[in-house]
Amino acid sequence: MIKKTTLIFLTLCLVVSFASLCPAADTIKFGFNAPLTGFAAADGKSSSEGAKLAVKQINAAGGVLGKQVELVIYDDQAKPANAIPIANKLIGKDKVVVGISGSYSGPTRSSAGVFQEAGIPYISAYAIHPDITRAGNMVYRTGLLGTVQGRAGAKLVGDMMGKKNVVIITLQNDFGKSLAAGFKSVAADYGIQVIAEYQYSMKDRQFGSLVAKVKADKPDAIYASGYYFTCGPLVSQLRAGGVDAPVIGQEGYDGQKFIEIAGPAAEGVLITTTLDRDSKEKEAREFMQAFEKQAGYPADMVSASAHTAVKVAAAAIERAGSTDPEKIRQAIAKTSYKASSGLIRFNKLGEVMKPVQVQIVRDGRWHYYAVIDDPELLTPPEE
Amino acid sequence: MLFLELLIQGLIYGCMYAIIAVGLTLVYGLLRILHVAHAGLFTLGAYLGVIVTNATGSLGLAIPVSAMCVGLVGMAIYRLCYQPILSKPPYVALIASIGLFIAMEEIFRLIFGPYGLTYTQVPLQSPLSLLGMSLRMVDIFIVFGSVAMLGLLSWLAQKTRIGIAWRATVDDPQMAGSFGISVQNVRYLNFFIGSALAAVAGIFISLLSNLAEPTMGGVPSYKALAIIVLGGLGNVTGTLIAAVILGVVEAYGTIYVGNLLDRDAIAFAFLILVLMLKPQGLFSRK
Repeated sequence: MIKKTTLIFLTLCLVVSFASLCPAADTIKFGFNAPLTGFAAADGKSSSEGAKLAVKQINAAGGVLGKQVELVIYDDQAKPANAIPIANKLIGKDKVVVGISGSYSGPTRSSAGVFQEAGIPYISAYAIHPDITRAGNMVYRTGLLGTVQGRAGAKLVGDMMGKKNVVIITLQNDFGKSLAAGFKSVAADYGIQVIAEYQYSMKDRQFGSLVAKVKADKPDAIYASGYYFTCGPLVSQLRAGGVDAPVIGQEGYDGQKFIEIAGPAAEGVLITTTLDRDSKEKEAREFMQAFEKQAGYPADMVSASAHTAVKVAAAAIERAGSTDPEKIRQAIAKTSYKASSGLIRFNKLGEVMKPVQVQIVRDGRWHYYAVIDDPELLTPPEE
Repeated sequence: MLFLELLIQGLIYGCMYAIIAVGLTLVYGLLRILHVAHAGLFTLGAYLGVIVTNATGSLGLAIPVSAMCVGLVGMAIYRLCYQPILSKPPYVALIASIGLFIAMEEIFRLIFGPYGLTYTQVPLQSPLSLLGMSLRMVDIFIVFGSVAMLGLLSWLAQKTRIGIAWRATVDDPQMAGSFGISVQNVRYLNFFIGSALAAVAGIFISLLSNLAEPTMGGVPSYKALAIIVLGGLGNVTGTLIAAVILGVVEAYGTIYVGNLLDRDAIAFAFLILVLMLKPQGLFSRK
């Protein structure tokens, strides 16, 4: 009897060890950090689903350099302190050939430094802080910089919509502050006068007193930064409080959940983002279809950005013809790749150069409103 | 005009804080435990409120169902988590409570998903004009609902046999026990009522923001602690007054000093100021 159990146990051990060994021998590993738990878990889910979809598509098409791609995902809870051990684990234990951040600015800044030091390429999918790419030449970004989006927002408000008296409502974090800074840096060029500026914290969901004040300010437009879970309540409370001025947001609103939370108040809200829902491009359309089928909800900016980052990495390795980090880096730098979130090219610093999509809520879905592609306005910094 | 609108907003915030903090202060008064997981029950209340409302279309049904269920969960928490460690020093229960709260947040995320739940049709959103102010039905509902519940609680505590037993146990558990009051039952009742109130507070918040999310208990978890300290730990009347004062301070503070201090910082700056002047809290018991 004892012999039999031992035998079963040994067999199981063998099976398990083979199962874990076999694919490892013949795959190329991509590291991926995302906030799968904690307050940013929703974005973590979208980004990891987008990345998984990209890997599935790459593997279905034959993989990279004839090998299958394996995505190694760790949960950083959007906390910088968690990101560093994760980056070390991805590099040291998992031996990934490239790292991708599907997370926020804080953790992405932390792990960018680790990847840079180890000499492994790292791509930030949608984190917006300017310092991320300044970690060094190994770090690239496929998402738009906060300041670039802020400048595009100012053009949208002052030039395209012709609204001059603007109230700014800023989320107090890296994201909100760099958007406000970008917006204000060019506001005067478009004749915009900022009549009042307010800040709120990530945890705020109740904006009653803010709404009362904004109503008294009588603005022509409101430039409000934040995420769907802060701005959904904000927009619905603004409308309920009798404020009719148009609300202009950014990619943090991007997603169906914003419309669900704000309800009818979401109609007419404009955002600057990277995913065009009415895109005529094959890559974007196919991505949106495949994503909704896989994830069970419509694609958003975060998922498209993560999908793009993984595809860019895979394409670079294919072109490099090797998994040597320096060769991969050189290939990434020369990227000119049509992805789900547009044509991706990088400047000297590793910042993406691509147009800003303006989307509007109509009949409960995001739709095309305009594209902003003035090179002068959108050029990211080179150092 | 703006002054009055901000005052109304402050009252709304204050009412919500009051019904969250009252449960916490009841537990502290009775057991000397800082019950951080109370905020988890607040979140659970909001989720149940959204789910029942969406399933039945009736908020009137959702509120009692959610309050009842969360009340029972509160009793279970006392029985399974606190009762076995009552003889240990107070920080043991505090750590258990914090752990429980973190676990609850993640359980909500696993069960209900990371995105949070929304009402398919948010109840009580019809606009209401009062003295030239634009309000929603829900604003009035929250103020009157909170006052009604707290009135009921006060009646229960002052006028009924149960209430007398309850107050006696808070004053002196040993003496109350020797007079034949079941201390155990009083504790269960205490957890039931406190948790049920937290559930209703959760539903109120979800009506204002149309969102029940796993981490929504984060703010109440520490702000309610600040309120009960401000109100003189374990003092119910003090807690209620402190909640309303804090609500009003926040409503004005977010507008006039919001660019210097964020909302929580305003609340805690106020707390520090009060404790410097009156270290025993605004309304301490002797």
